[in-house]
Amino acid sequence: MIEIILAGGIAVGTVLLLPSFGELVTERAGITNLSVEGSMLAGALTAFIVAKTTGNYAFGFLAGAFAGMLVAAVFASAVVFARANQLATGLICWFLSLGITSVIGNSYNGQAIHQLRQIDIPGLSSIPFFGNIFFQHDVVVYFGYVAIAATAWLLYKTKTGLIIRGTGERRAVVDVSGHRSSLVQFAAVLAGGLLSGVGGAYLSIGQVGNWASDMTNGYGFIVVAIVAFSGWRVSLTALGSYLFGMSISAASVLQAQGIAVNQYLLDSLPYIITLVALILASRTNSRQPEGLADSLSM
Amino acid sequence: MKQGQVSTLNDKKRHTRIVASVVIPLISICIALGCFVAFALAQGTSLEGLYAALYYGVLANPNFLTQTMTRSVPLICAALAVIVPARSGLVNVGGEGQLIIGAVAGTGVAVSMGDAGVGIIGIIIVLLSGALAGGAWGYLCAVLKTAFHAPETVSTLLANFIAADIMLYLLYSPWKDPDGSGQPQSKPIAADLRITTVAGLPIAFIIVIVIAMAVWALLNKSRWGFAARVVGSNPVAAFRGGLSVSRYAHSAMLLGGALAGLGGALNVLGAEGQLRPGLTTTFGFIAFLAAFIAGTSIWKGVMYSIVAAAVLVGSNPLQLRAGLDGNASYVLLGVTCLAIVVISRKTGRAS
Repeated sequence: MIEIILAGGIAVGTVLLLPSFGELVTERAGITNLSVEGSMLAGALTAFIVAKTTGNYAFGFLAGAFAGMLVAAVFASAVVFARANQLATGLICWFLSLGITSVIGNSYNGQAIHQLRQIDIPGLSSIPFFGNIFFQHDVVVYFGYVAIAATAWLLYKTKTGLIIRGTGERRAVVDVSGHRSSLVQFAAVLAGGLLSGVGGAYLSIGQVGNWASDMTNGYGFIVVAIVAFSGWRVSLTALGSYLFGMSISAASVLQAQGIAVNQYLLDSLPYIITLVALILASRTNSRQPEGLADSLSM
Repeated sequence: MKQGQVSTLNDKKRHTRIVASVVIPLISICIALGCFVAFALAQGTSLEGLYAALYYGVLANPNFLTQTMTRSVPLICAALAVIVPARSGLVNVGGEGQLIIGAVAGTGVAVSMGDAGVGIIGIIIVLLSGALAGGAWGYLCAVLKTAFHAPETVSTLLANFIAADIMLYLLYSPWKDPDGSGQPQSKPIAADLRITTVAGLPIAFIIVIVIAMAVWALLNKSRWGFAARVVGSNPVAAFRGGLSVSRYAHSAMLLGGALAGLGGALNVLGAEGQLRPGLTTTFGFIAFLAAFIAGTSIWKGVMYSIVAAAVLVGSNPLQLRAGLDGNASYVLLGVTCLAIVVISRKTGRAS
């Protein structure tokens, strides 16, 4: 059973991991995007519609990524170029996406689609215990592994990463050094939206195989919390995402085993764990990018 | 001669100011409405359908005003729950959860009273328990902030989902009405605990307006209100001046949560009559946006909440008349708020 929970946690965790890394890049550039939830919803519905009508999952994921990016583009235009308040704009963009996806997705409620095929990685998947947990998944989970490495490389080993991090700390310095910090922020938000869209798409067409209104159910807000309590670090963001995946998968596995705990109490588990993690991490946390200091104030 | 030139200059300035403060917002809101109409048309609605929805929702609806007032009760309370903590520098995005917890506690107490015929005292007890529960829910996040430095924006946001799950748990298991034809809803509340209308005015609305006045007086005319504002605008000066920053953070969140909790309980007694899921769906967030746009002004917050309630009531027939999903009103509110937030960004940042 532990193997099932852990393996399920890696899979469910990928739904959170991709948006988390998107949000990590966004926040490193000095913007807190609360509409991750909106991007995920848009990605989930668009991917479902496209995959359902064309039968092609790759198109589904591309469309989901684009939809997530579109929501982020609305947010970024208001926040980066019009300097609107990030907290309010983030909530509004989530709200808009919730409304639009509920209206458009109304006729898709309850339709099913088969989930992604599992691909065992030759060799690695036959390692006892670990092979089961890490290397017997679908292609998106492996994409998640790549995303961890790619984000770490981008942020810490490239000049682009340096500019992104610099923008998050002191915009003026980046501007003076000849880069347009607002363009950097705009691009960082779009990248975040893209990954959130893929995360949402993975939820609808990869994991559960259907669409339901408001199906992300607050995962996007958990993502923002994960990035905050990981102290804006790549390793802890990845760890946090998978841990939350595991708490969600543990809840569903326990239920499938017939352990009589109410579904809604189990549903609240990830939020409670997030709160506790936030408390534990906040005491020692001082690595917040300087530019984020008042991004969540009114 | 010189005098004349100066006044022309002033006139010019005044003109640009009028353009900036009236014309641009009007155009932006029209663009927002245009976006909504375009979206609705793309969903297969006709202009006639939209007009019929507007007609039957507002003009030909004799109860439009009463319904708007009833709807605005939880919205105003949740908006006050944002404004009070905001005065002392806290961001409360947890109005949704505090409304829910207030409604849950109020319903629990009201249902357990049954048909005891307790009347007005019963109503007061129900409302107080709602306020107490909502206050405790908000207070929790204030403590997390002062004791552990957990950002209250994130913690109140997460607490919303926990509150919703608590309500769903109660409604699907222990509180489920056995006579509710399988629906997840609580037993109905006894008739003598319900708050009705007087001369067409919902009593719950009158209570809320009185409370808003009291909150206004507390914030603007009392020692506590002044100190809370000092703590919010300059915590260092407040600390040097001997004010306990965390004490004001605690009491502001306690009061804010209590206001939202009261709104939840009032909504159950005044409008719903029983607890059911989706009771206040997203009202807390709509109220947050109303309060945000209002800056930290109580009267603007009340006004914008009423406007939001009017939009919700007015767009009710969108589903029936224009064939749009019920959530279309969120799209309408969303585009309008986005337009307002973008154009009012300067006042938004100053507050």
